[in-house]
Amino acid sequence: MSDKVNIILNGKHTTANAGDTILEMSRQHDIKIPTLCYDERLKPNSSCFVCVVEVEQNGKKSMQPSCSTFVNEGMHINTSNEAVKKSRKTALELMLSNHYADCVGPCKEECPAGVDVQGYISLIEKERYSDAIGLIKETNPLPAICGRVCVRPCEVACRRNLLDEDNAVGIDYLKRFAADQDFASENYYSPEVAESTDKKVAIIGAGPGGLSAAWFLQQKGHQCDIYEAQPHPGGWLRYGIPEYRLPNDILDKEVERITELGVNIHYNQKLGDNLSYAQLDKDYDATILTIGSQRGTLLRAEGEDAENVFSGIDFLRNMEMTGQRYDFKGKKVAVVGGGNTAMDCCRTAIRCGSTDVKVIYRRTEKEMPANPIEIHESKLEGVEYNLLTNPVKVNKDEQGRVKSMTLIKMELGEPDESGRRRPKPIEGSEYDEEFDYILAAIGQKTDINFLGDINKHSSNGELLANRWGDIDADEQTLQTSIPSVFAAGDGVTGPATIIEAVAQAKTAAHSCHQFLIGEEIKPEPREFFSRKANFKKQEKKDYLERYQNQQREEMPTLPENERVNFNEVELGYAGEAVAKHEAGRCLECGCSALHTCDLKAYATEYQAEQMAFEGEFNDFETDHSHPFIEIDNNKCILCSRCVRICKNVVGANALGLVERGFETHIAPSMGNSLNDTNCESCGMCISACPTGAITENVLFKPLPVKTEVSRTLCNYCSIGCELEIHHKNGFVTAVEGAKGTVNKDGNICRYARFGYHYLNDKERITKPLIKENEKFRPAEFAEVFAHIKKQFSEGEGAHNALFAGARLSNEELYLAGKLAREGMKTENIGSFHYLGREYGYVNNNRHSVPFDQLKDAGKFFLLGSEINTDNAVAGFMVQQQVVENEKPLVVITEKEHSAMSYKADENIHVKSYYHLVKAMNHYLVNNGKENRMFIDAQCADYEKYKSNLLSSDYKELVKQSGISENAVEKLADAYNLEPNAIMIFSEKEVDPATSQEVLNLAMITGKLGKTAMGVVVLKEKNNSQGLLDMGIAPSLKIGGVKPEKTDDTLKMKVQEGAFKNIMILGEDPAGTAKNQQDIAKLIDNASFTVVQDAFMTETAKQADVILPASYTIESSGSYTNTNRFIQQYTQHFSTKTGKTTFHQLVALLEQFGIETKKDAAYVMDDIARDLPGEVDNKLNFIATEYAGDKAMFNNGADFINKKFDEMFEKAFTGKRVAVEASIYG
Amino acid sequence: MENLKVIVDIGSSGIAAGAGKVHTHLQNIIKQDQLPIDLQQTSGIGMCYKEPLVEVKDADGTYLYGDMTPDLIEDVLHSHLKLNVPLEKYVVHTANFDTPHNAFMNDQTRIALRHCGVIDPEKIEEYEAQGGYQAIKRLFKHKVEPGKIIQTIIDSGLRGRGGGGFPTGLKWKFAFNSKSDEKYIICNADEGDPGAFMDRSLLEGDPHAVLEGMIIGAYAMEATGGVVYCRAEYPLAIKRLNKAIQQAHDKGYLGKNSFGIDGFDFDIYVKEGAGAFVCGEETALIASIEGKRGMPRKRPPFPAVSGLWEKPSNINNVETLANIPWIISNGPDKYAAYGTEKSKGTKVFALAGKINRGGLVEVPMGISIEDVVYKLGGGIPDNKKLKAVQLGGPSGGCIPAHLLDTKVDYESVTATGAIMGSGGLVVMDETTCMVDVARFFLDFTRKESCGKCTFCRIGTKRMLEILTRITEGDGKPEDIDKLLELGEEVKKNSLCGLGQTAPNPVLTTIRYFKDEYEAHINDKKCPAAVCKQLLHYEIDPEKCTGCTVCAKACPTEAISGERKGVHVIDQDKCIQCGECYSKCNFDAVLVS
Repeated sequence: MSDKVNIILNGKHTTANAGDTILEMSRQHDIKIPTLCYDERLKPNSSCFVCVVEVEQNGKKSMQPSCSTFVNEGMHINTSNEAVKKSRKTALELMLSNHYADCVGPCKEECPAGVDVQGYISLIEKERYSDAIGLIKETNPLPAICGRVCVRPCEVACRRNLLDEDNAVGIDYLKRFAADQDFASENYYSPEVAESTDKKVAIIGAGPGGLSAAWFLQQKGHQCDIYEAQPHPGGWLRYGIPEYRLPNDILDKEVERITELGVNIHYNQKLGDNLSYAQLDKDYDATILTIGSQRGTLLRAEGEDAENVFSGIDFLRNMEMTGQRYDFKGKKVAVVGGGNTAMDCCRTAIRCGSTDVKVIYRRTEKEMPANPIEIHESKLEGVEYNLLTNPVKVNKDEQGRVKSMTLIKMELGEPDESGRRRPKPIEGSEYDEEFDYILAAIGQKTDINFLGDINKHSSNGELLANRWGDIDADEQTLQTSIPSVFAAGDGVTGPATIIEAVAQAKTAAHSCHQFLIGEEIKPEPREFFSRKANFKKQEKKDYLERYQNQQREEMPTLPENERVNFNEVELGYAGEAVAKHEAGRCLECGCSALHTCDLKAYATEYQAEQMAFEGEFNDFETDHSHPFIEIDNNKCILCSRCVRICKNVVGANALGLVERGFETHIAPSMGNSLNDTNCESCGMCISACPTGAITENVLFKPLPVKTEVSRTLCNYCSIGCELEIHHKNGFVTAVEGAKGTVNKDGNICRYARFGYHYLNDKERITKPLIKENEKFRPAEFAEVFAHIKKQFSEGEGAHNALFAGARLSNEELYLAGKLAREGMKTENIGSFHYLGREYGYVNNNRHSVPFDQLKDAGKFFLLGSEINTDNAVAGFMVQQQVVENEKPLVVITEKEHSAMSYKADENIHVKSYYHLVKAMNHYLVNNGKENRMFIDAQCADYEKYKSNLLSSDYKELVKQSGISENAVEKLADAYNLEPNAIMIFSEKEVDPATSQEVLNLAMITGKLGKTAMGVVVLKEKNNSQGLLDMGIAPSLKIGGVKPEKTDDTLKMKVQEGAFKNIMILGEDPAGTAKNQQDIAKLIDNASFTVVQDAFMTETAKQADVILPASYTIESSGSYTNTNRFIQQYTQHFSTKTGKTTFHQLVALLEQFGIETKKDAAYVMDDIARDLPGEVDNKLNFIATEYAGDKAMFNNGADFINKKFDEMFEKAFTGKRVAVEASIYG
Repeated sequence: MENLKVIVDIGSSGIAAGAGKVHTHLQNIIKQDQLPIDLQQTSGIGMCYKEPLVEVKDADGTYLYGDMTPDLIEDVLHSHLKLNVPLEKYVVHTANFDTPHNAFMNDQTRIALRHCGVIDPEKIEEYEAQGGYQAIKRLFKHKVEPGKIIQTIIDSGLRGRGGGGFPTGLKWKFAFNSKSDEKYIICNADEGDPGAFMDRSLLEGDPHAVLEGMIIGAYAMEATGGVVYCRAEYPLAIKRLNKAIQQAHDKGYLGKNSFGIDGFDFDIYVKEGAGAFVCGEETALIASIEGKRGMPRKRPPFPAVSGLWEKPSNINNVETLANIPWIISNGPDKYAAYGTEKSKGTKVFALAGKINRGGLVEVPMGISIEDVVYKLGGGIPDNKKLKAVQLGGPSGGCIPAHLLDTKVDYESVTATGAIMGSGGLVVMDETTCMVDVARFFLDFTRKESCGKCTFCRIGTKRMLEILTRITEGDGKPEDIDKLLELGEEVKKNSLCGLGQTAPNPVLTTIRYFKDEYEAHINDKKCPAAVCKQLLHYEIDPEKCTGCTVCAKACPTEAISGERKGVHVIDQDKCIQCGECYSKCNFDAVLVS
């Protein structure tokens, strides 16, 4: 629309197109307005009210949903003032108050560093260990270390505990397993490092905090130098944790991954000692203090100054520093405390030779902060426990050494602020117990004696200590009072865990980065997560029905009698199968739409609170009954996009809204399972859902991780849809529609959406195979190519044959043609897909109505086409016109049950398409109803056709058509009289002769080659047209130019088995033949068969040589769609086969001594050169004598098409294929 | 002597009160005793509180008898026939002498209701005898241009009586201006407000007036089809409507070439609605007629541009349409003479709640609420104090006693925070808890939300939850602000009138009765002693006789005491159910 109106948009005068909604107008002005219920493919619904804007007109201000409010002259529109923001936030908060669902699992929520546990477990399950480590290292660079010694808040939170009696998923063990695998891998994970910023950061301390800070900042391009007081890296990891838990070589390897990025570590440099802040301030742009809490505290009891009383950490550190172990042989050792340091001390004491080690702890075992596994192991190793006991004083001997300790019995009182019951001494219960050593593991202190040095040299502020004696830093940003100094870890928090230090380091690194690049320092925005636990405590019964008990994989350990040393006790999972099984225990609490959910994104943007409005919430069962589509009403926000798209675009009307008010929800029609509705399993509802309420019921363990998106073309049918392949490093997680040239709305059908699993399938053939003694062995390409050359060159060309399928690109087909004709010296070239029917279909779509003209159709006649399943995206275009614009749809079918029947305004069941159309033509011509003007101006050979046609017996034609004379004539008139009548037929059902008669009909009625009228031809495969255009038929020339005399003998030769050497590229005739006899002799009689395919097809099994085919996404080329629209695609994945199909053909041609271009784009130039210059624009009437042959092969003779159909059918009849199983192998 | 004319009022409210039995009895005795009586029927004059009503016409005049039973009507007839005097004590309205109830009828100005209770609605002849179908005939006779008809309606100042108050003539003009091969006029008879029965009474009492209004409208805006969307819970209305449509057909007033006008092929059918409140909203109503889920959509496009089957459509409420023939017959000026500057004519109200004379009244716009309640409605029973009036149904608002002088016109009512709505007027006295009232109305609207808009679907639910917890004594100090804030958001951000008005009862009660909310929240008290969980029951030892009735009634055994001794309530066990209070015969149970 060109009319403009004047508006005031956010205070500025501007113009807008009259007739646009405010949302459309805003998008044109690059103003982002959030919306959940708006879908470009549908009329606005205005239900979510997230898109509201403030509109002022005629002096009246109001909130209006921008998606459905039209701009008007003089309108004042405010898209983001406080009132607007408030309304949007309130709308989001209201939805969230009834959103009983988890965005992520409690494991990630409870992890201080927010590691994506579910994500990496899923990657481990897929044996993608380095990807898993990459995911972990986005937030935690120490997976091998944490995988061994983390305190595992994730496992405490794990919901598996609810099911398997407190046996969480072995999250940490899995992490360790992945880390160890990654260590062993050549392609271990290493992040990209940004270009240098020329900024330098000094980091004090090479403990977990310092190492992490360096890891994050170095990646941003800042040079990180770590200064470490000790001679080795690791800090507490090395000097506090004994080696039997964390071997130094693991630590060193993990540190190496960090230093590899360019991080320097300077050892034996202690701030305030031999390193002055003066130098740091001079040399560096920023400093991060990650100093840890190094000082142990003693017992705080009388006599603690006795000899042989140590702090636990000094005890551990001394040994690591000196390399000398204490000799505790025959000594009685007391360890005071209940945390992990106490465990490290007691278990180390055993390893130092003591057989009498006692842990003294004032509460019970239940309250011990140590990991239960540590307590368990310590007991195995012989440690004893004096629980509910507390030291009163240390008794010395004459030399001032420990002699004994006076202990007192305790009892538990009321819970204190930590929730644990407070221990109280039992009066008069004191007793003495003898000890030789006392190790106090009851706490640590931060040592900040370098404060003076810093403050002496600081020019812009003073570093302060807080009231606990730790470094004072801003809680949110970790910036200290000196702007260039940041601090993280125990030095700020006091003694805490490794993972907390990592988390802090990430925060400090984030702030430091902002400081370095001159941005305002503010914490990373809080990401919104919906939580089930916000609504109610999760209980066993909530999970019982859906999940089964599954035994936890135990960690193999050293036998107890082999532990009096510092060898690692935990040995790691035995292998992949164990890891996989353990990964399988994950309940997948997080939402699979985590990264695509608009509700979550807006909730984050508007900082919405889930519990701003508390109250009742709906708790629906998730509906898994459909094999491909999962409905979780708890996540539904009632935008009804699924309902609307299913009705208006798909026409299936399988979903609806039920109940009223707060109880309203989406349900399959009549409350049935989706399976029992008219659902066509196209997945359009999934594409419409803005949250995770309708998702794909995936075959693999869901992988809610951030994916890359690669754009490619669909290789199923001939519509030519562009796709977005979502993948994590090549593992395809989902396929969405791209807004393509043909599929402008981004719609795709079930084939594209659910038929991508072959891309991940491990049974794929990735190497050339040669059959020897009835068995295939892998071979190199060179060997195979030479072999092929030899076989095909030996005999006469007439004994060679080459078949190529419609999955191949134009370029590949062109090369295949060259290979056959110039290399193999044969005209025995064709496709099984078209076998015997090639010439009848060559040009049937020269004047096919382009899809984007379907919207202007007046009436649709569907002749022999299950368009809603076979070519569903075209079906959607038709259906939208039928539903929204009430265009009539006539379905003409030979089938007893057509899947289209229920959508039609009129159903006509016929016996023979051929006779029907010919009878219609006869009627029109015989009654002078032809469009004479059109015929005279545009067509050739009419008179010949006419006399031929009229010589046939009309009554007989009508009889054979299967409907009455009256019905034939009514139909013919209906088509003739509707100016914008479009007849759509599919080659799958309609033979070549009928195809020709339909074209004749369109010419008789003057509809061929005009806008929005005439004929639409639907072909079966993505490049069916390419086969014909590239000359894949005997004597057929480039551009689909038919030879003067067509050669129909290829089919006969196939049936006779007339060839010695056969090459079959991308077709599976043996697996797809409608009649096995048609194909039996072909391969039997041949002495040498080469098959190129991606899987071991029935045909491939019988081959002598198999070439591995590449996928569309692994190569570049072009397909020609059914409208003869050529679309190019480019390579996104490196091919698993080593050589793409295209390059294999190039190499084969070279083998035959034929030079060709080595790049698909240049081959296209050759193709263009070979095209015929002049094309006769006349429309030719061609008479036909009898119905032509129907296809001899199903599924376009394509294995992948066939497998999808089989899988699809199976999915509804039985259980869906198990997760591990290959569908295609 | 001329036969006595006896007319029984057989509308839904009459039938509910027993008018059917009275009528049957009359038939029987007239036949049996061969009484010189013409028995007729009519429907709902509006004096619901006195149903069953029977009108007796004798030579001296007309007497409306109330509270009739089969026995009483015999006495009445006996008196008229034998003694030739009316039985005064049962007369509720007559012109011949004063009755305590005369004011109810005398103070009304009946235009829409002009035939209700007067004619037999099932007889087109009676309608025509009263001047029915004359308006339309006159228009045709004088070949009045549609534009002129529309101007007449504009001049009359008639505004939509369904609640919106949009000028009817303008609406017609918009529809007229939308050119299309198909066009519809729809009568909205969904009447979903609980307690409102204006439309039902009109359809039961004078269906032809509505049809005539539609035919005039159809002619004026060139509509090709008509639909009456009537809720299925109104079987009698639907029956009489269908009968009326048939009669109109038979007379040639509907169907091909209606009224003999070439090409005027107007017809009407009745679509029964399933009783969703939201279907009173015009776009939801259209969706419902089309067989879709009754959900509103954004306007524009307004139905006048794209309505039923995406064709231009005009929707008028029953009462609006019933006014049309009168305006055409009597001229716009006469209609506009009633009412105020911006609100012309009369309005029908359904009086309900704590009022002496509940029923249907039609009054000129601009009359004060006080006059409606006290003059027509006869005030509050038991001499209780009036607290507030809820105007506009569940999505209306309450007007407090101190604003009783508010005039009933669109602007004045809106200024109070309430809405005129379709005319439901519920009177509340001092025993009404305003928080509980707000909760009650909101519970209705939130259940009736179609579920489409986020604010209406979840916002009203959350508001209700807050109100509920306030009435249960769990209110928080911030709740009032939260209700106000959320209420405003719900009003601002809903597609249709349901959501836009649902918070009204809450917002107006907070506006005028904030102290009651505060008492619930801060003092955990319900000043009107309605909210059970906030009540405190005690036994007055002075009055307690030790009869043990209360102890036996108590479901939690919270009351103990010796027989003939004073009883006590254990407050820890008491669940505030009120059983003891209602059972005590000595007023010994005290509530606070």
